[in-house]
Amino acid sequence: MPTATAAAQIHAPALLAEGISKAFMSGDQRTQVLDGLTLSLDAGELTLISGPSGCGKSTLLAILSGLQKVDSGRVQALGSELGQLDLRALERFRLQHTGFVFQGFNLFPALSAFEQVELPLNHMGLSRNEARRRAQQSLEEVGLAHRMRLRPSELSGGEKQRVAIARALAKEPELLFADEPTSALDAANGQMIIDILHRIARTHGTTVLCVSHDPRLVVHADRVLAMEDGRILSDRRPAAPAASDQEIPS
Amino acid sequence: MVALARKTLIYEWRRFLPAMLAVGFAGLLQLLQIALVLGIFGSTSLYITGSSADIWIGYPGTQSVGSGRTIDADVESHVLMDPAVQRVEPYIWVDGDWRGPAETGGVSVFVSGIDPSADGLMFSKALPADLRARLAEPDAVVVDRSVLDQLGVSIGETATINGHQVRVVGISSGLRALGGVNVLCSLDTARRLDDDPADAGPTYLVAKLRDPGQADAVAARLRGDTAFGPYTTWSAKDFAKISVRYWLFDTGAGAGVLFLAGIVFLVGAVITSQTLIAAVNGSVREYATLNALGVGVGALRKVVLEQAFWVGALGLLGAGLLGLVLMLLARSQDVPVVLTVPAAVACILLVMGLAAVSGLAAMRALRRADPATLLR
Ligand SMILES: Nc1ncnc2c1ncn2[C@@H]1O[C@H](COP(=O)(O)OP(=O)(O)O)[C@@H](O)[C@H]1O
Ligand SMILES: [Mg+2]
Repeated sequence: MPTATAAAQIHAPALLAEGISKAFMSGDQRTQVLDGLTLSLDAGELTLISGPSGCGKSTLLAILSGLQKVDSGRVQALGSELGQLDLRALERFRLQHTGFVFQGFNLFPALSAFEQVELPLNHMGLSRNEARRRAQQSLEEVGLAHRMRLRPSELSGGEKQRVAIARALAKEPELLFADEPTSALDAANGQMIIDILHRIARTHGTTVLCVSHDPRLVVHADRVLAMEDGRILSDRRPAAPAASDQEIPS
Repeated sequence: MVALARKTLIYEWRRFLPAMLAVGFAGLLQLLQIALVLGIFGSTSLYITGSSADIWIGYPGTQSVGSGRTIDADVESHVLMDPAVQRVEPYIWVDGDWRGPAETGGVSVFVSGIDPSADGLMFSKALPADLRARLAEPDAVVVDRSVLDQLGVSIGETATINGHQVRVVGISSGLRALGGVNVLCSLDTARRLDDDPADAGPTYLVAKLRDPGQADAVAARLRGDTAFGPYTTWSAKDFAKISVRYWLFDTGAGAGVLFLAGIVFLVGAVITSQTLIAAVNGSVREYATLNALGVGVGALRKVVLEQAFWVGALGLLGAGLLGLVLMLLARSQDVPVVLTVPAAVACILLVMGLAAVSGLAAMRALRRADPATLLR
């Protein structure tokens, strides 16, 4: 029944985790960070995972994005079983399908904003012109068209994080992971970053998974998962309209 | 392609400077060492390379020009009978004790008795024609400019060699010897200076061929005969090689060169790899981010290797320029320095090998660029 499979795929979640567990050993001490967690994310939404520091948010993100292996359970991303991919295949999967934004901006000091965005595209097999077009477009989208030639040392923290977002966005990923993207920034800049992430989810249909212990971000998310001690406590959709009408200054 | 390796090298040049200096100094040390050794030991084959003889005939087993023994004078006519031979002349080597007019004490000299005629073969490339002609006078000698102080003479003055009086009729240049001083004179003068009654014939016979390309074949052909007592033949090229090799290896100088090359390589590689590792560590979060975005570890390794390559190339460029200046300076001070193509290639290989080894060591530091560590 080919039609049934096709229909099933359309409704398949972008990201699916079933019964995942993860423990770390430090010395003789065993810490169970994730304990039989199940989760499914739909495409085109900004999902926020919030919870106190040390509850396992970052570990969950690393597992869902294929940067870390699970002890038990399975992760399915865009229909691929991540557990069955080797290191090379995982790299290739990330190259094709995922973008990352970290708390630290992790920009090369020697490169201009434009080059930071262009660099990963060079490795995707895109033509030079296509890479430049995408870099230009992404930087415009995060409101940095006029600062493309500047190096990180000449950019503010908020601008650096926007360059990091543009670097992830230019790959046109289906999955975008952000770990505490606002915690190094002040309130206004943090607000702008979460707005950009939300807009990316809506206009590009990207599945955005954002992890943060910052409660101010809750109102901007389509869906909020509250986490504690390796488990998801609540799963809700804030009724409040996200502040998406706000203009990005450029 | 965004040239990450090069842009980082330029932007953070201070960080890479120690590596470039280490590579540059390693290259420079090696270059000067080889040039000096070649210059000094090259002078031990000056007798051969400064002459236009194609074939040398001497006592069997001779290791260097200075350690020859006399051969039978009748070999000359035998050699001349070979149709390929155009000219043969004797060459007499006498170890002498020089007493100058000034109080210098005895100086050990190497007396070279040569044919002073205008078409003479010995030192034809090292001795100007007018100086050669002046050697025809009895007891006339020519010495090198660089040893005048050592011998305590100037032009026109007299001195004694092995108790016989000689007169300095000319000053040449480029005739420095190793372990002694070269003194040039005519064959007749040399025979007078030789006070060993056992020395009857010449130390060597040198021959010019009609076709220099046949040197090896003619040398082999002339070697077989034993009717005139012990003697053997070499092509000039082979004899020069034997002579230089003797000095390089039997004196331990060659081992010294290799030893120092090893030390230079080791020290250079340690400094260079440490610098490159520090550079990788400084950017490890950025590399990890690229890997998270799917840029393969292989591509990141290539960036590190490329940085090592540029460090090597820039260090080499600096060493080359500075080396050239120092060599010109040495030349102007009569310090013997010679750089051959194989020696230069050896230097380049050593330096780039050093950079490559350092780059490979620095690549290991990329293991720390694990993107999972960015998520905490
Ligand atoms: N590589 C690791 N080795 C040992 N313990 C770890 C490692 N990574 C995370 N942990 C531990 O797992 C727990 C959850 O960490 P994390 O997922 O970073 O929490 P959060 O992001 O919610 O603050 C913490 O107690 C942390 O110390
Ligand atoms: Mg965290």
